[in-house]
This record gives sequence, structure tokens and C-alpha cells, in this order.
Amino acid sequence: MKLATALVAALVLAALPSITSSNYIIGVGISALIFTVAAAALNLVYGFAGLLSFAQLGFWGIGGYAAALTVMTFGGSFWQGILWAALLNGAIALLVGYPMLRTNRHAFVISTLTFALLVTLVARDWVSLTRGPLGIPNLPPPHAFGLRFDTPAKFYWLVWVFTVTTISFLYALCSSRIGRTLVAIKQNEPLTRAQGISPMPYKLAAFALSAAITGAAGGVYCFNLRIIDPTFLDFYYMQTFLIIVIIGGAGSFWAVIASGMALSALPEVLRFSDDLRMIIYGVILVAAMFVMPAGVAGWLHERRLASMRAALR
Amino acid sequence: MTAILSVAGLRKSYAGVHALDGVTFEVEGGSITGLIGPNGSGKSTAIDCISGFQRLDAGTVTLAGSDVTGRPAHRIARAGLMRTFQTVRVYDRLSLADNLAIAAQQFDPATWADEFLRTRRYRQAVEASERRARELVELIGLERYYGAEAGILSYGQKKLVALAAALMPHPKIVVLDEPVAGVNPSRIREIEVALQQLNEAGETFLIVEHNVEFITTLCHRVIVLEQGRKLTEGTAAEIHTDPRVLEAYLGMTPEMVEAEMRGAA
Repeated sequence: MKLATALVAALVLAALPSITSSNYIIGVGISALIFTVAAAALNLVYGFAGLLSFAQLGFWGIGGYAAALTVMTFGGSFWQGILWAALLNGAIALLVGYPMLRTNRHAFVISTLTFALLVTLVARDWVSLTRGPLGIPNLPPPHAFGLRFDTPAKFYWLVWVFTVTTISFLYALCSSRIGRTLVAIKQNEPLTRAQGISPMPYKLAAFALSAAITGAAGGVYCFNLRIIDPTFLDFYYMQTFLIIVIIGGAGSFWAVIASGMALSALPEVLRFSDDLRMIIYGVILVAAMFVMPAGVAGWLHERRLASMRAALR
Repeated sequence: MTAILSVAGLRKSYAGVHALDGVTFEVEGGSITGLIGPNGSGKSTAIDCISGFQRLDAGTVTLAGSDVTGRPAHRIARAGLMRTFQTVRVYDRLSLADNLAIAAQQFDPATWADEFLRTRRYRQAVEASERRARELVELIGLERYYGAEAGILSYGQKKLVALAAALMPHPKIVVLDEPVAGVNPSRIREIEVALQQLNEAGETFLIVEHNVEFITTLCHRVIVLEQGRKLTEGTAAEIHTDPRVLEAYLGMTPEMVEAEMRGAA
């Protein structure tokens, strides 16, 4: 049922550039898809494994720079750039993740935050590699099989394929026994240990896969912007991913996907009032958290549970 | 009969306090062994050390002939020792079915690749696990909650789920940490019967419990701890009448107990 809905939604989204010729709407669609991928990756570590990782912002940035540098400095293709973005992030995540995950949950949050800030510093200050605050402009449009993705519509389709691929992968993972084990570890880690499950490999795998996907998403996104500079590591991005996950309902796969699409479009829908736009957006978010502290999915779940309890009485 | 679990010279101290001060005992295969003692006698520390949740200062733990001393908890579980917890632990947001399935998943041959790709090996493992889960859920009498979230169950029901989960992978020994503490008295009898049935089917139990009546009706052998040392050990009947046990446990001599009983009558 959910899967069928997702399939229909994916097909409708694929048709977006044929429905509208507005580059503005297509542009919003591109951002929405990429942000949704990054949010889904955050949902894997935070929603499923229960690890509040701010390192996602760092991975997003490393992914962007890795992809841009592969093309501009090392003469590779866009596709190689995305591949490097994913691989490099996966490797870095394994390396920094192991010590981070050995600490308690609070220390983990702080060390991931520090990681993100460090990446920002590197992006700004390692001028010989990243060109510092000037950034790397004029990223060329990707091309493959004699096709150049140089219009917003063409780029949109590329992003659509990327999104469907990564979301499918994440869904296969989260709906498997591995996803269930992550949830179990989040809920009661001592119990998983008493049942012969070693939590570390699971957490580390979730962290690294999430990093790889976030990095790839960052790589695609900077080619959408056509430029990368240290503002690519603005906290705005982390905030957006986190809001999508929390409003959707951390740990609920499809709710976060839906929330990603909805919340990316929401600020644009509110453009009828340019002055109050972000204020209204803020009010909606705060109100949503008051009414549904566990996100939309959590709220629906509570209602189901209540009716189940009533039925058992 | 041979010992499934044998511990020797267990020592553990916290900031100078000897929680365990050289405890030695054995649990025979196919038996129900009780571990009792007053508060602070070291029962919980003992099973935390045996199951790998705490590090021992000294001593050895041997499980089915192999030395598991100092191994992490998940390795000891994989070696065949499953335990429950004093404050009941279940996965509240997962169904009863999932609660039971997770408890056994580490023991089947399916790898991560099998799980991700849903291979035949994985599907067979899932089927076997489901059969076992259905069997156990029937034993604990919670069939109608099989698909329901464990969070909606009562405290006593959760204790039963924790027991069933511990039995899922056919462990060599099950260590129960206060299985009836906080459980409605009318349910205690049910748990007693279930444990007896399981024992007759060949399961080995080590039970830590405050409820002396529960222990003495159920256990073949009882070990009594006091202040981190083994006070005595024997059959339920022997323990029941041992003056040292009464004194340690109730703070009374047999004469005082008798006087009290006369007074009550």
C-alpha cells in the first residue's frame, strides 16, 4: 500500500518537467528531491539507529567539494565525482565514526557537531585546494551518452533517477532485518547485547552508509548550484534535513520522504507574503511540534495505538 | 549430570566495597538453580559479571566447557547464555513477533547480505524463527498479542515476553533476574508452571529471586549469597530450615521466627 503510493508519487514527480515549463518550479523540485535524499540518510542514523549526527553537514560539504574537485581539478567526470563523494565520505565516516560511536550519546552529538565545524574551517582555509571563500565556480553540466544535462528539466530528471535509486536502496535496507535491528539497538541497547547482537558494526554501517549517501547528494546539489564555496556548509542545510526528519517522524521511512517533499515546497508556497514567509514557516513548524511532538508519523502511530488499546479492553 | 555453567572465585569490588568476594558455584544441565540472598548480597552483580555486563576483577566463568571469562556480553550470549533483566526489558515499539524474532536472529546463518537481498537462506531462517516464536507465545499465553506492540502489555506480561525471548535461540542456560518481582501474585503461579514445563522439556535455568516461596517450590538446588560470599548451598528443603539462611535473609534466628509464627497464630 505504502509502496504503491510511493511508486505513484515517484511517477508523478517524474512528469513534473512535462507538466510545467517554469524553471522556478523545476528548480524547487530539484532541491526538494536532493534534500529529501539527505533527510532520508539522516533518518537512517537518527531515526533508525537513534544517533543524532550533525556530521551530516560535514559529509554534505565534503561530498560537494569532492565532486567539484574531481571535475575541476582532477579532470574527472561528474559521475566519477559523485562516486568519489560517496566513497570518500564512507571511508571518513568509518574512520571518525568508530571513536565517536564509542562515546556516550551526548558526547557523540557534540563530536559530530565539531566534525561539521572542522569541515567548514577546512573548506574556508585550505585555500590551495578549495580556493577558500572564492569557491569553485562554473561547474559544467554533467553529460553522458552524448546527452548534456544543461537545462533545469534535464538536470531534474538526472536528480530524479538519483533520488529513486538512493531512496530504493535505503528502503531495502531500513525494511530489512538490519533496519529492525537498528531500531532495537535504539530502543534498548543492553537487551540487544544480551541477545548476542554487537551494536557497533550496525551503528558504524548506518553511519557510513548515511555519510556516503549524504555526500553523493551534496555532490549532485553543488552541480545544481553550479558553484561550491564555504556557504555550502551553512548550518541552514543541516537545519533543513533535521526539520524534515523531526516533522515527518524520526524512524518512520515514508513519513520522512513525504515530509521532505512537503517541507521543501512549503517555504515556496508561502511566497505570497515575502516579508512574513519565514515567520509563517517558523510558526507552522513550532505549532506542528506542539501538536505532534513525535512528528506526523508518531502522531498517527499514537492514534492507532490508542484504538488498539481500546479494542483490547 | 554435568555442569553447564560453573563459576569460580568471582571477585568484584566497587570503590573498595566487595560486591563479590570469591563466589564459586555450579549449575547442572537440566536443573533449575536458585540464587538468593538479602539486598546487597551480590546476586545481581554475580549475574551481571557472568553474562558479561560487568567486568570481573578475578575469577573464571565456564560455559558448557569453554572459558568465557571477560568476554563481552554479546559473545557470552552467542555461546549459549541468555539472560533477562530485573527491570523488565522488551522493545516497546516493536511487535511481540519482532521482539521474539530479534532474540534469535544472531543465531541463524543469515548474513547481512542475505538479509539485504532476502535470499533463500534468510527466508528459511525467518520461517524457523517464526515457528519457534509461535510455540513460545502459546506457552506464555499471549497468542492474541502476537502482532501487537509490546508496549501495550502489562508489566507481568512483559516479563513473560522477556522470558520467551530468552528461550528463542534454544540457549544452553537461561538466567532469569527476578522473574516474578512486581508481578501480580495470580500470575506468579502461571510463570511457575511455565518454567516447570520448560525444565521438563530440558531447559536449564538459573534464577535470581527475592520471592523465597517461588524459589523453594521451583528450584532443585539453591545457592545463598550474603555480603558477596556464598553462605551455603543445598536443596530447597535444606535451605528452608538452615538457621544461617533465616538469619541472613530475615535478620531472625529460627527461635524468633517460631515465636513470630506463634504470635500470628
